[in-house]
Amino acid sequence: MSDKQEFEPRIIYILCSWCGSGGGETAAAHHLHYPENVRPYRVNCTGALPTVHIIRPLIEGADGVAISGCHPGDCHYNDGNFRARRRVALVKSILDTLDLEPERVWFRYVAHGEGRRFVDTATEFNDHIKKLGPNPLKTRSDT
Amino acid sequence: MLEGLKINKGAEEAVRDLLRSLLESGRVSGVLALGRTGGGNGGVAYSLFTDPDAFGADGVALPLLPFMPANAGGLLSRLTLKGPLAEPVAVVVKPCELRAFIELVKRNQGSPDNLLLISSTCGGVYPLEVGANDALEERLPGYWEAVKQGELDSDIRPTCRACVHFVPDNADITVALLGEADLDTQCALYLNTEKGSAFIEGLEDLQGTPLLGELEAEPIQRSRDQRAAYREELFAGVEAGLEGLIRTFGRCIGCHACKTVCPICYCSLCYFDSQDCEYRPEVYETELERKGGLRLPPNTIFFQLGRLAHVSVSCVGCGMCTDVCPADIPLSTIFSKVGDSVQALFDYQPGRDVTEEVPLMTFEEEELVQVAT
Amino acid sequence: MNNKGAILPAEDGVESAVIGWLKEALSKKVFDALLIPVEVPAGDSFAYLLLRNPALLENASPLPPVMPVQGAKAISRLTMRGNGSKRVAAIVRPCEARAAIELTKLEQAHLDNLWLITVDCPGVLPLSDYLEDPVAGAARFAEASQRWDRAPMRPVCQICHHFSMPASDLHIGTLGSAEGTVFVIPGSPKGERVMENLGMPLDAALDDWAARVKEMEEVQRERRRQAHTDLKAGIAGPDGLLDVFSSCINCHNCQRVCPVCYCRQCYFESAALKLPPENYLARAGRKGALRFPPDTLLFHIGRASHMVLSCVSCGTCEDACPMSIPVAQVFSLLADRAQETFGYVAGRSLEDPLPLVAYEMDELHQVEQPYVETYHGLQIADCEQEVQDA
Repeated sequence: MSDKQEFEPRIIYILCSWCGSGGGETAAAHHLHYPENVRPYRVNCTGALPTVHIIRPLIEGADGVAISGCHPGDCHYNDGNFRARRRVALVKSILDTLDLEPERVWFRYVAHGEGRRFVDTATEFNDHIKKLGPNPLKTRSDT
Repeated sequence: MLEGLKINKGAEEAVRDLLRSLLESGRVSGVLALGRTGGGNGGVAYSLFTDPDAFGADGVALPLLPFMPANAGGLLSRLTLKGPLAEPVAVVVKPCELRAFIELVKRNQGSPDNLLLISSTCGGVYPLEVGANDALEERLPGYWEAVKQGELDSDIRPTCRACVHFVPDNADITVALLGEADLDTQCALYLNTEKGSAFIEGLEDLQGTPLLGELEAEPIQRSRDQRAAYREELFAGVEAGLEGLIRTFGRCIGCHACKTVCPICYCSLCYFDSQDCEYRPEVYETELERKGGLRLPPNTIFFQLGRLAHVSVSCVGCGMCTDVCPADIPLSTIFSKVGDSVQALFDYQPGRDVTEEVPLMTFEEEELVQVAT
Repeated sequence: MNNKGAILPAEDGVESAVIGWLKEALSKKVFDALLIPVEVPAGDSFAYLLLRNPALLENASPLPPVMPVQGAKAISRLTMRGNGSKRVAAIVRPCEARAAIELTKLEQAHLDNLWLITVDCPGVLPLSDYLEDPVAGAARFAEASQRWDRAPMRPVCQICHHFSMPASDLHIGTLGSAEGTVFVIPGSPKGERVMENLGMPLDAALDDWAARVKEMEEVQRERRRQAHTDLKAGIAGPDGLLDVFSSCINCHNCQRVCPVCYCRQCYFESAALKLPPENYLARAGRKGALRFPPDTLLFHIGRASHMVLSCVSCGTCEDACPMSIPVAQVFSLLADRAQETFGYVAGRSLEDPLPLVAYEMDELHQVEQPYVETYHGLQIADCEQEVQDA
């Protein structure tokens, strides 16, 4: 149990440049804090996020990957977030079929103004991953 | 400079100890060697080890396993493609893998800097399917028994049984295996370069007596003669001529796996997979008009001949192509046969010397008069 | 689809009936050329031949015992740059036709001037089994396919439930037909036109065929479900999965022969994954060792994410694997589950849009992580900290 308490997850938080990372900026403007082991990773649009960018961190050392794009209807490119949702569904389906813990991938919309929601997502996801424990794949040398 | 070391341990144990203490002492930052993968169901792959425990008695590393899941020459190229190593890394590879790496270095596909190259007098490796069927383990006692006698196990790949370059050319350290009758209790390490010697000297856990004697002993000569004879035999079986090629490559499935695993085929995008070889329908229709029928996908023989033109001068005869071919085409025999004659034409031996230029990268004004008509 | 077909006499067996019928179509100029598997000169395998000379049909086979090249790859090579001017009939297996349909949607094939002709498929032998002794293999195949016994066939053929008519233009129904006959079934207006031109009236009822197909399909579906359940138990979790791929040699041949992996340059062979040596050493340092070349698992899972939605479970990948890894079985499981998520069946029709090209606004809400307004984990933790500090 003590192991799990001390476990500091490595988390990749993929953010679109218009809404997700905007949420981060708003959070910063309001001096809201989020766990420092959550590492933001900015992409132009979640609709342009290759599936491999979700899978690769999970094999190479991350304990979880969260993705935040614009709310439905708000995408700067009209439909990027809907396309992202399909890709996330695909990746989760593959991880689920292989019993590779699809719950290590989160997809939640965060708007530019939603600093609170951004911080809450980072925090909640961090807590969620702490509960799940370390990602068994990241220590395997034969991947 | 120390030129050799005789260690009072079996060869496998001595090599593992050597690698472990190189890692433990910090003389190298990593070791590229074969090791077990997965939950011990027989998977074997090359790995870059940083943990010395891998070379302990129960470790997963198997540096001298007679198996070649990939030509490590290509792997060394992958490791050093983007720049030379900043820290030393030891590698345990077979002579053909070493030769392939030298050829790749000449083509700017890798750098030997900071690599400690360890190789051995090679008794050949088993075909991939032996590894795929988990049958490798049970063959090992027989393998080592044969190697001690300077012989090759009969299940060794034909390519290896026909290989005459089984003594490494450019290794910093050569582990004598072939024909070493006391392999189980003694290990002879030949330190061919100052680098090799410097890495070994004063290494704790690796005590031995200076080695006297020559690597090129009778068993090596004998094996070379036997393998040369078998090479002739294999070459004689190659069906030549257009009919022969069509018969041999008729069952080719066009997967180009031979190219993918070939260490010399380093192009990111092969010409034969490029747009140049994708044609408009009219091109096929014209061909069809002329010939009445044509094979699709096209370019079966063209690919093989073209690849021969691209790689035969540097073909090290490692046999990976034959090993992966899903259609069981004896590619390596054909490529070695053509390779031998092309290499003889230019008096070139791939992997012999890193300073020797690739024949197609250089020329002399007065040469090859026989080709001009 | 028309629920009527025509009956083709086949006293000398299905093969010669189909070949004779194709010959007639060639001579009547209904088609300009055929794309059909033909025995290679050494007699030890089959290759797709585009032919207009009827004499070349001598060694042709609409149902060869093996599938050395996925037919969709041959179709794609012919038509990747556009529709040809010649009318070509491609005689392929159902999975090859399905892959051709996927490739058409992926803009890697053009079917306007190409007729997909399929035959009820008994499966094919594993390539390595057949190559051990082609003559014995052919005999074994003939004998087993006669009885619709899939036991000697490839593992994915044993669990194939799309063995009958795909969205092809014409289909040869051998199931449920009377002794010495086969059905010719049109699947598209294009196919119907061909039958009209050949003077084949659509007057035969297909009920027997349809009933037999349905019956077999149910058996196969159950087999597939069972096989996938067993398979899943073996590959579940990191341990199981890495065990399955432990002997992978990274030759990427599964990708090379895959009909739907059409990229000229695969992402997993691209510069994106070729990194400076420090990167590899750092990764090795984190784990104690780094399998080399790296990214074996990333390749397989990543490739799955690229192609499973179009995977037709044709099994070519498994045939081409030098390490006998059950790739096709793993991918057929992944494909079934992933396609189910999107209500998509690869190769079912040209009209269904590719799942990653289309989207709907109101769907897949299960992947959206609901936001609980009251979750202020950090704040609470901060407050507690403050209280403690105080």
